[in-house]
Amino acid sequence: MSPTFRFPFHSRSRIASEVDEELASHLAMVAARLEQEGWSPPDAASEARRRFGDLELTREYCRSEDFRREKEKSRMIVLEELRHDVTYALRALRASPGFTLIALATLAFGIGANTAVFSVVRGVLLAPLPFATPDRIVRVWESSKTLGIPQGTFSEPDFLDVRAESRLAESIGGYFFADNLTGVDLTQRGTPERLSAALVAPGFFETLRPRPLFGRTLSADEHTPGRNHVAVMGYGLWKRRFAGDPHIVGQTITLNGDPFVVIGVLPREFTYPAAQELDVWIPLSYFGPDAIGRGRASHFLSVIARMKPGVTAAQFRTEISAITKRLSGNYAENSGWDAASVATIRESIVGDVRRPLLVLVAAVALVLLITCVNIASLLLARATARQRELAVRAALGAGRGRIVRQLLTESLTVALFGGVMGAALGYFAVHALVASGGVQLPRGGNLHVDGVVLACTFLISLVAGLLFGALPAMRAAGPALEHKLRTGARGSVGGGAQAQRLRGALVICQVALAVVLVAGAGLATKSFARLLSVNMGIRPEHALVVRMSIPPEWSDSVRGPAYYESVLDAIRALPGVDAAGSIRDLPTRGMGETPRAAQLGFPLADADADAIIHMHHISPDFFKAIGAQLLSGRDFQLTDRRGAPIVLIVNEALAKRYWPGENAVGQVLHAGGTDLQIVGVVGDIRQAGPSEPAEPTIYIPALQNLRSGMSIVVRTKGDPMRIAGDVRNAIWSVDRNQAISEVTTMENVLGKAVSRQKLLAWLLGIFGVLGLVLGALGIYGLLSFAVTQRKQEIGVRSALGAPASSVMRMILGQGMALATGGVIIGTIAAALLTRQLQAQLYGITPGDVGTYAEVIVVLLGTALIASWSPARRALAIDPVTAMRQE
Amino acid sequence: MPREALGLLQGTVDVLILKTLSWKPLHGYGISEFIRQQTGGDLSVEDAALYQALHRLERKGLVDSEWGVSESNRRARIYSITPDGRKQLRSEVVELRRYMAALFRVLEPA
Repeated sequence: MSPTFRFPFHSRSRIASEVDEELASHLAMVAARLEQEGWSPPDAASEARRRFGDLELTREYCRSEDFRREKEKSRMIVLEELRHDVTYALRALRASPGFTLIALATLAFGIGANTAVFSVVRGVLLAPLPFATPDRIVRVWESSKTLGIPQGTFSEPDFLDVRAESRLAESIGGYFFADNLTGVDLTQRGTPERLSAALVAPGFFETLRPRPLFGRTLSADEHTPGRNHVAVMGYGLWKRRFAGDPHIVGQTITLNGDPFVVIGVLPREFTYPAAQELDVWIPLSYFGPDAIGRGRASHFLSVIARMKPGVTAAQFRTEISAITKRLSGNYAENSGWDAASVATIRESIVGDVRRPLLVLVAAVALVLLITCVNIASLLLARATARQRELAVRAALGAGRGRIVRQLLTESLTVALFGGVMGAALGYFAVHALVASGGVQLPRGGNLHVDGVVLACTFLISLVAGLLFGALPAMRAAGPALEHKLRTGARGSVGGGAQAQRLRGALVICQVALAVVLVAGAGLATKSFARLLSVNMGIRPEHALVVRMSIPPEWSDSVRGPAYYESVLDAIRALPGVDAAGSIRDLPTRGMGETPRAAQLGFPLADADADAIIHMHHISPDFFKAIGAQLLSGRDFQLTDRRGAPIVLIVNEALAKRYWPGENAVGQVLHAGGTDLQIVGVVGDIRQAGPSEPAEPTIYIPALQNLRSGMSIVVRTKGDPMRIAGDVRNAIWSVDRNQAISEVTTMENVLGKAVSRQKLLAWLLGIFGVLGLVLGALGIYGLLSFAVTQRKQEIGVRSALGAPASSVMRMILGQGMALATGGVIIGTIAAALLTRQLQAQLYGITPGDVGTYAEVIVVLLGTALIASWSPARRALAIDPVTAMRQE
Repeated sequence: MPREALGLLQGTVDVLILKTLSWKPLHGYGISEFIRQQTGGDLSVEDAALYQALHRLERKGLVDSEWGVSESNRRARIYSITPDGRKQLRSEVVELRRYMAALFRVLEPA
C-alpha cells in the first residue's frame, strides 16, 4: 500500500511573495558585491535595480509561470489520487469476490430493470407526439347515458354536421380503423398481402398535420368519388414491400383489385391511429354504403379535432355536446346520443397504459432501493471488518475526507460497473420486448435505448453508488478511527454495536421493501392466474386461426357465398382437420355488429328500449371448430343459405335475459318484415376477453348475410401450426390471389389479449422474488456477523450454564424482531401503494386480506430460515475455545 | 571597466542555465556570476531574462527549486537540474552544435 502522502499546495499569495523574496534576495546580493567594489549603499541598490532590467515585468512573468505550474501540479495530484483510489478500490473488490459478485449482480439487475422501464416510459409516455402542436388536438366522442356508452363513435352524418357547425375547432377529422379489421388486399406485386389500413374521412390530415417523408397527404377534394383512388403509405410498408424506393410517389399499386396512386409516404413515428404500425391511409369514401353503413344509426367514425388557439377542452366539449344534443332531438336514430366527451389526443393514446407503466416505474425504483440498502448493509459489515486497515491509513496521515473519498470511490466503482452491466441488460431486455411483439403498447414502435436513456442509466448508477456508499463511508471514517486502532486488535467493541444497530435499521428497511414488492407480485400473479382460469366458453388448444377477406363487392352476389363455402370445404378436406368454421371477429378481436334489440324484434321491457345486441356472422361448424358448446337446438347447416328462412343461434346470456325459464329454441322474432327463427342456444363465449362477462349475442349464418372479413378457425389434433402450410395451400387452391393476413393459433390470439397482464405479473413476480432473496440475505448477513462478533459473550453464557435453547432463542429472536418490524412497516406501505394496482387487477382487490396474510407468512418464514443457520452456528460455539480466542 | 559583454542569441539562455546547473545547484545570482566567470565576461545574461527563464524552466519541469541559504547566509532560492532537464540539455547541445557548424560553413568556408 502506498502512503497517501499529499504535496503541500501553495496559495497564490504565498507564490507571489516567494517571487518577491527571491528577486529581493538577488538584488541584495548584487548590491552587496557593488558595495565591495566601492559603491555607496544607496547607489549600489539603485545600480543593482538598473542592471536587473525590467523588474516589474519579470515579477509578473515569474508569478504567472509559478501559478501555472502549481495548477498543473495540483491537477495531476488529484488525477493521481483518483487513479490510486480506483486501483485500490479494484484491489479491495477483487479481495472480496463474494461481496463484489452479489453487489454487481443485484445492481446490474436493478439498474437494468430501471433502464428498460425508463426506455419504455420515454418512448411511450414522454416522447413528443408526431403531430404539429399536439396540445390542441383532441379526440371527440358522442356519449349516451341511456345506452351506457360514455365514449361512442360517430355516424357519418353526425360527423359532417359537427364538422359544419363547430366554431371552436380549426379542423375536425374522422377515421375508421380497427386493429385486424380495417384493411385492404395488396395484389399484383409479389405475394398477396392483407394490409392494415386507416380509412380516413375529410379533415384527418388537416387536424394531425404530419410531415410526410415524401409527397403529400390527402387533399380536400380527394375524398370525392372518382378522385379517391389515392393512398398514403406508412414507413414500414414502404420499407418492407417497396425497398424504400424514393420514387414511390406517383406509382400505382393495386388495393382490393383497384388501382391506387401513392401520393405520399409518412415518417416512421407517424402510425396514428394504429398503436405500432400502419400500412396505408386511404379515403373512407372508397368504401361505399354497401360495405360500411352511412345512416345515422351506423356509428363507426372516430373523430379528432384541432381546437383553435386558446380554446380549452372543456369549452370544446360544451360546444360539441350542444350540437349532439340538438341532433338527438332532430333524428330518431340519434335518441339518447345527447352528449359528447373530449380528451387530449395524448390521453386517448397512452391514457390506458400510464398507470401500469407508473406502477412498473415504482416497482423498479423499489427494486433498486432494496438493492442499494442491501449493498449499504454489506458495506457496513465490510467497514467494520476493515476498520483496522482504515485506522492504519488514518494513522499514516490520511485525513478523514481522504478516507471518505477512498471509500466512496470504491462504492462508485461498484455502481458504475453495475451500471454498465445494467445498461447492457436493459438494452437486451428492451430488444427482446420489441422483438417478441407480445406487448401491445401504444407507440410501441418507439422503444429504443438511446443516448438519453443511457445518460439516465449513468445518473441512476451514480445516485445508487452515493446512496449505498455515503452512509458506510461516513461511518467508517468517523471520529473514532484512532480509537479503533487501539481497540481494534480485539475485534470491535463500541463502534461495532453502533454499526450493528445501523445495519439492523437497514435490514428493517429491506424487509419492508420486500413486503411491498412481494405484495405487488402476489396480487398481480393471483389476478393473472384468475384471468387465465376463466372459462372463455371455447377450447383454444389445437385450434389454428387464418384470417383473410372476401372482396366486399362479392358479398351480395352468388360468387361470395360460393367462394366462402369452397374455401372452408377445401380446408375441411385436409387430413388431420377435425372441423373448420369462420367468424368475422374472433373472440378478443372485436364485438361484432351492434343492432338494437328493438330493431330485431326482441320482446322488450320499456327500460331496454335502446338495448344493444351483439351480432356475429359465422359459418356452419364454427362452434365445433372453436370448441364452444351448443346447449340446445342445432348448428347452422349448408341449407341455411340465401332464400331459406333466416335462422339464428343465440348465446345463453341472451336466452336467459329474454326468455328466462323458457326454451329459446323455436322462438321467432319479427324484425321489420322478416321473421328470424332461433334454432339453437350456444354456451357463452367471452368475446371481449376473459375479464368481461359475455354480452347478449346472436349468431347468424354468414351464408345468408355475407361479410367480407373471415377469421377461419381450424380444429386439429396435434400442434395446430403443423397444418398451417396445408391450410394456406388449400385456400390458394381455390384462388391463388387470395391475400392471407394472419396465420396463428387460437391460444396465441388469447395470449395476446392478456399479454399486458401477463407481463405485469411476470415482472412484478420477478421483482418480488428478488426482494425476498435480498431481504433474506440481509437478515442472514446481519445475524451471521452478530454471532461471530458475540462469540465470546455466547461462550461465556454457555459456560455459565445457559441452555442451548436460550442461546438459539436469543439469535432467532433478534432475527424475528427485525423481520417483524419490517413486516409491519412494509404492510402499511404496501396497503397504500398497491391501491395504484386497482385497475390492473382482475378478480382480486388491492386490499385482499388473504394475499397479505400469505405475504406476511412468506416473509416471516423466510426470515426464520435466514436466521436458522447463524443460530445453529451460535449453538455450536465451544465455550472454552471461544473464550480463549484472541 | 571590463569589455562590453556580448548580447545573447535567442534561446541560448535556457541552455546556459541548464549547463550551469548540471555542475551544481545554484541560486539565480550564482548562475549569472558563474556564466560571467566561465566566459571571462564575454557572455552575460540580463537578470530579468535569467529569472524569467528559470521560472519557465521550472514550470516545464526541467529544473527544480527549494529555499536554502546562500554563501553569505542569505535566504535564497536554490535551483537544481532535473533528469528531464539533463535530457533536454543533451539534445539542445547537439542542436546548437549543428546550428553553429552550419553557420560557420557559410561564414568561413573551408
